[in-house]
Amino acid sequence: MIEGADIVKAAAFLGAGISMGVGAIGPGVGEGMAAAKACEAIGKNPKEAGLLTRTMLVGQAVSESTGIYSLVIALLLLFVV
Amino acid sequence: MAYDIQTWVSVAAFTGGGMAMGFGAIGAAIGEGYTAASANEAIGRNPEQSGDIFKSMLVGQAIAESASIFALVIALMLLFTNFPSHILSVPVLLGAGLCMGLGAIGSGVGSGFPAGAACKGMSRQPAMSNRLTTNMLIGSAVCQTPAIFSLVVSFILLFTDFSANPVSPTWAAILGAGISSGFGAIGSGLGGGLVAQASCEGISRQPLTVTPVTNVMLLGQAVTQTTAIYALLVSFILMFKSFPATDALAPPMALLAAGICMGIGAIGPAVGEGFAGQGAVAWIARNEKHIADLTRSMLVGQAVAESTGIYSLVIALVLIFVV
Amino acid sequence: MEDLGRIHQIIVPFFGHNMTFNLEVMIMTWIVISALLCFGFLAAQKKSLLPSPLQVVGELFVVHLFALTEDALGEELSKKYAPLICALFMFLLLSNWLGIIPHLEEPTKDLNTPLSLGIMGFCIAHYAGIRAKGLKTYLKGYCEPMFIMAPLNVIGELAKVISISFRLFGNIMGGAIIILVVSYLTFSIITPPFLNAFFGAFVGTIQAFVFTMLTVVYIAVQVN
Repeated sequence: MIEGADIVKAAAFLGAGISMGVGAIGPGVGEGMAAAKACEAIGKNPKEAGLLTRTMLVGQAVSESTGIYSLVIALLLLFVV
Repeated sequence: MAYDIQTWVSVAAFTGGGMAMGFGAIGAAIGEGYTAASANEAIGRNPEQSGDIFKSMLVGQAIAESASIFALVIALMLLFTNFPSHILSVPVLLGAGLCMGLGAIGSGVGSGFPAGAACKGMSRQPAMSNRLTTNMLIGSAVCQTPAIFSLVVSFILLFTDFSANPVSPTWAAILGAGISSGFGAIGSGLGGGLVAQASCEGISRQPLTVTPVTNVMLLGQAVTQTTAIYALLVSFILMFKSFPATDALAPPMALLAAGICMGIGAIGPAVGEGFAGQGAVAWIARNEKHIADLTRSMLVGQAVAESTGIYSLVIALVLIFVV
Repeated sequence: MEDLGRIHQIIVPFFGHNMTFNLEVMIMTWIVISALLCFGFLAAQKKSLLPSPLQVVGELFVVHLFALTEDALGEELSKKYAPLICALFMFLLLSNWLGIIPHLEEPTKDLNTPLSLGIMGFCIAHYAGIRAKGLKTYLKGYCEPMFIMAPLNVIGELAKVISISFRLFGNIMGGAIIILVVSYLTFSIITPPFLNAFFGAFVGTIQAFVFTMLTVVYIAVQVN
């Protein structure tokens, strides 16, 4: 017999999976683009490699924040709701 | 109207076969079309090389096609094999079909990119046609690995006897395994293609840099494959771990969600890693002296781009083992 | 296929809790550590201008990893952290390669090893950050761009530990499981050596380098 609480739990699990799965697409592509442009810039101006890598990392950290929001929501759905 | 189990098994077999070939045709067709378009452009630019370009177009298309042929094999097996009339055959057949169908998309499109770039490169730099063909073959072959992962998972699903397992969570585990490997292969195939495309283009522009460019291409592609390997890992765990029988809805949903999470979550990071590799390889061809700096920042960039894929892996493992 | 979940462990009761020791991981880790100690001792024993083969390998590691650390951290800090980075890379490299030898296993296959190394890197990076910037500036860094973003910034930092350790674990574990399943399906004919070469030697080297590089980068981001 399937009860209401069970359905809620099942929906929370499914929601967590979809949240993290779909939420991982955007940051992944975006961070990749940042890395591609950083490589391009290092190719053009190799002297600034250290600065460029650091800038790339900060930019990626910012674009990753939406992925971390997805992670937080997924963990909330799994353990809190 | 009550149908017996055999009817449902047949329904699943035909649906799975349709999905395998239907989805499986998307990627190869796009990839081959891209190759043909590039070949036409290349012949238009340099008609004297039409023989070589035509040959390499056909070879490139044949490789891009192989992902689709894997899908055809699975579809034919689903249509013409007699499967045991057990209720778990239904998710097995659907999962195998989905896995191979989705898994062929990325590799098909991805393999088209290096072939197209090689055709264009031949018109620009006819003396390099041999090296270009070799590089294209290596690059496209690596692009096929995710499709081969999907093929392996489909075969394991079809030939493993699940009938001793409890029906309730196992159906979701099987379906989740198929979805995870299927979706997980899309990004890696595409990303690997982008890296190989940049290397073919780079070789045709800077013929002297063949060796470093090919090496870094292989490195970039290997890192791009890692998300597909995570998806494969989740699939194997879902298929081979034994789950206790249950009447509730939540445990099977957790397993299904694990597959969806890892599968879809692997797409974006792999494409991103492909972009990163593409940028690095393109600039290594132009600026070979700074190969160490470029390789290093490519690896760091790819590693960071991969982190969201790793969060998906973590959530999938939590869904399987913790909740 | 029975190998899939096989773990030898000792369970020791400890004030009402059970402490579990994973024997295989501990033995393999000690094998790696003793091999590295022997290597270091032998390579540094006779330092000559015409180096012995072991000395050449040792110099190769030291020179390249010191240069790599210096690029990211600057000359002054790199003197402090380069030995650690060098040791970390050599440990990870040998750990990832260990699975190629039959009957031995990668210690990195168990999540505990990468996780503890990840936590170690995290602590070092934040210690370096506090030393370089002072506690006030360090704490202020969490309140960017707004004060209310602080919890998310903290989660972002903790997520780095998860991503760095699960990356290594996922790759090595994935490789091991793929080798196991494919060997089982093909009755261990022909394919296992190639798979071992790819997952053990190639992927293992890349992941060891990526782990080391990310540890350096995390330190560099905290310091600057």
